[in-house]
Amino acid sequence: MGKRAVAIVWAQWRSMRNHFPRSSKAGAVFTGLLTTFWYGIFAYLGVLAAILLANPEEVHFIHQVFPAALLLCFLYWQLIPVLMASMGSSLEIRKLLVYPIPTGELFALEVLLRISTGIEMLLLIVGAAVGLLRNPKIPHWGPSALGVFVIFNLFCSAGVRDLLVRLMSRRRVREVVALFFVLAAALPQMLLLSGSRARLQRLFAADASPFLPWTATARLAEGDFQWKTVAVLFLWTALAYIFGRWQFERGLRFDAAEAAAKGASAGRGASRMEWWYRLPSAVFPDPLGALVEKEFRFLSRAPRFRLVFLMGFSFGLLIWAPMAFGRESARHSVMGDNYLALVSVYALLLLSDALFWNAFGFDRGAVQVYYLAPVKMSTVLAGKNIAAVALVLVEIVAIALVCALLRLPLTVLQVVEAFAVTAVVTLFILSIGNLSSFYTPRAVNPTRSFRTAAGGRMQAMLMVAFPAALIPVALAYLARYAFDAEWAFFAVLLGGATLGALVYSYSMASAVEAADQRKEQIIRALSQGEGPVES
Amino acid sequence: MFTSSAISVHNLRKLYGDKPAVDGLDLEVPRGCFFGFLGPNGAGKTTTIRMLMGLAPPTSGTIELLGLPMPEHALEVKGKIGLVPDESLLFDHLTGGEFCEFVGRMYGLEKPVARERAGELLGLFELAGDSRKLIGDYSKGMRKRIAMAAALIHRPELFLLDEPFEGVDAVGARLMKEILLDQVRHGATVFLTSHVLEVVERLCDRVAIIQDGRLVLAGTMAELRSGSETLEDVFVRVVGADGPAESLDWL
Repeated sequence: MGKRAVAIVWAQWRSMRNHFPRSSKAGAVFTGLLTTFWYGIFAYLGVLAAILLANPEEVHFIHQVFPAALLLCFLYWQLIPVLMASMGSSLEIRKLLVYPIPTGELFALEVLLRISTGIEMLLLIVGAAVGLLRNPKIPHWGPSALGVFVIFNLFCSAGVRDLLVRLMSRRRVREVVALFFVLAAALPQMLLLSGSRARLQRLFAADASPFLPWTATARLAEGDFQWKTVAVLFLWTALAYIFGRWQFERGLRFDAAEAAAKGASAGRGASRMEWWYRLPSAVFPDPLGALVEKEFRFLSRAPRFRLVFLMGFSFGLLIWAPMAFGRESARHSVMGDNYLALVSVYALLLLSDALFWNAFGFDRGAVQVYYLAPVKMSTVLAGKNIAAVALVLVEIVAIALVCALLRLPLTVLQVVEAFAVTAVVTLFILSIGNLSSFYTPRAVNPTRSFRTAAGGRMQAMLMVAFPAALIPVALAYLARYAFDAEWAFFAVLLGGATLGALVYSYSMASAVEAADQRKEQIIRALSQGEGPVES
Repeated sequence: MFTSSAISVHNLRKLYGDKPAVDGLDLEVPRGCFFGFLGPNGAGKTTTIRMLMGLAPPTSGTIELLGLPMPEHALEVKGKIGLVPDESLLFDHLTGGEFCEFVGRMYGLEKPVARERAGELLGLFELAGDSRKLIGDYSKGMRKRIAMAAALIHRPELFLLDEPFEGVDAVGARLMKEILLDQVRHGATVFLTSHVLEVVERLCDRVAIIQDGRLVLAGTMAELRSGSETLEDVFVRVVGADGPAESLDWL
């Protein structure tokens, strides 16, 4: 790697080192614990893979499952960033473009940074490689195929990222592009829905086509050397390189300001939305009305929010539909009976990043105004919360309407249940979010459709905070199961709502206190940019 | 002895959608010149400087910097340019010293040389006392000073400066002006945009005024100020902003 690339890595290391001790210690410890927990799970799975693959008795089993396992790795690496709308760390090309750095060096760094979206899979693959190396029935050169497979994934991931970032910078087309990508990510589910189960199963079969990259990798990793298989794997890797490099170079020449300017006029669409923007001012007195109106306007125009909102009632419906209605027997399964509530909670999970966890991260510039203006912080927070609840409500209505349009089997009770469940979960998420917004604030660029933060950090947050918010609802479902009665379900849910209201009220008071005590840290955290790498 | 211009721009156009931000710009900046690029807000100054820096590709037209066509010779040319871009190109999580060292290394300086020069530049720009402070914690004036310090680290031949004195105090601004004048005396070329016309009038030997993406006036300072007009008078007259100002009754 060139001298300049080493300097970029050095500057990024210094940026990270400089950043951490200055942020809240409790926040850093919390984030560290969550991240360790999340990656710990995959490290554990990696160890299990190593133990399994090291066993010479399991060679036949390895032959059966390895192609499917590698296909799952590939899908996770390429699709999870799209699914979570999070594209991991990446070079700040705009900042580095002014320096005399050869494109090849930048591309090499960009490809290495793609590891940030696949650390989980890397842990599993390393585990598998160690296991295969220890297996006496497999030649030592075998696991090297996994190295080529990792490089293939990195090139693919770089290409997909650059393509997405460029397309997402174009006004008007970005929602269509987002929809296309999320539908592509949901393709396996759609194949299941359309009855193409056999075709899908063939992809995962042990005797899947040897011309697929995961099958070729699996065969070579098992020690089944054939020149044809080697050629297939290297050809796929070369194609991935060409795709990644092509997209990267197009990204270098891309002018985001120009793309954003195209179709920038508010036009008729904006005036059609005006009644919606003005609605809060008709319901609430100022300054609350003005605050909610500002949130409506701001969020409706933020690509990041628009993407997750769109995903909620498109991708969400598709991804869960096969599990709920895929098989005839499943039509009256737990999944099928609670489909609307399930999709609503999933939509809430998607929206939570934009609406709850880091409420001030998007409009970071406005935070200073909130501190300067003669408005109570509790009013500001209430304004944000009301806007969030209203937008969640619109999302759930949209989901219910799409379900009705698709003629999915839904009853009135199921619709009521979905709204009630979402309301209770929202109360708890709001409570956690109000605190995290002040204790771990993070500057976020709302013009980016896809998150740049390393996927693991956010996933870890969702792993802990979201399930915690789901506990009262889970108890309600348990009560329904135990008593086999709707009244039990709604009674426990009502109890959860009461508890949620109490928790919300307490967290609001704590958050307002934190806003006052941590004023400087909050403003500093929200006004800071990043190093040479966005992470 | 170089005979080509430091900057040579022909029929440069940049369209944002249907709207031209820069519309057929022709510009010649001789070597060793202190050049002021002026215009009202939204005239196309920043877009022009972004195209010169290589941050935005032009829709059409040609750019030659230091006699070499861009972007064909981008790598070679970039190594000879010092930039004071808008603030967004700084790295907020680095300290001033780290940033200068990083920029030096980007321009190919050896690490010890970059570190040594970074320390000296921090001293020169009176930032040594804040060497451990993050750029994100700097004031606006300090950010401009650190950007200027970083622009000097590799001894460039051409400076592209976007509003370099914005927010800088009088002492800092004087220091920056002296350094830039010294660089010009030693053969470097300075191309700067500024809204502070007094500064441009005092420093620059050539000026161009752009409006709605088009060049409306260019020449030496002596040519522009013929008669008793100040640069401000010329500027206001040329951009057509010398009509009576409207007032609001309630204000």
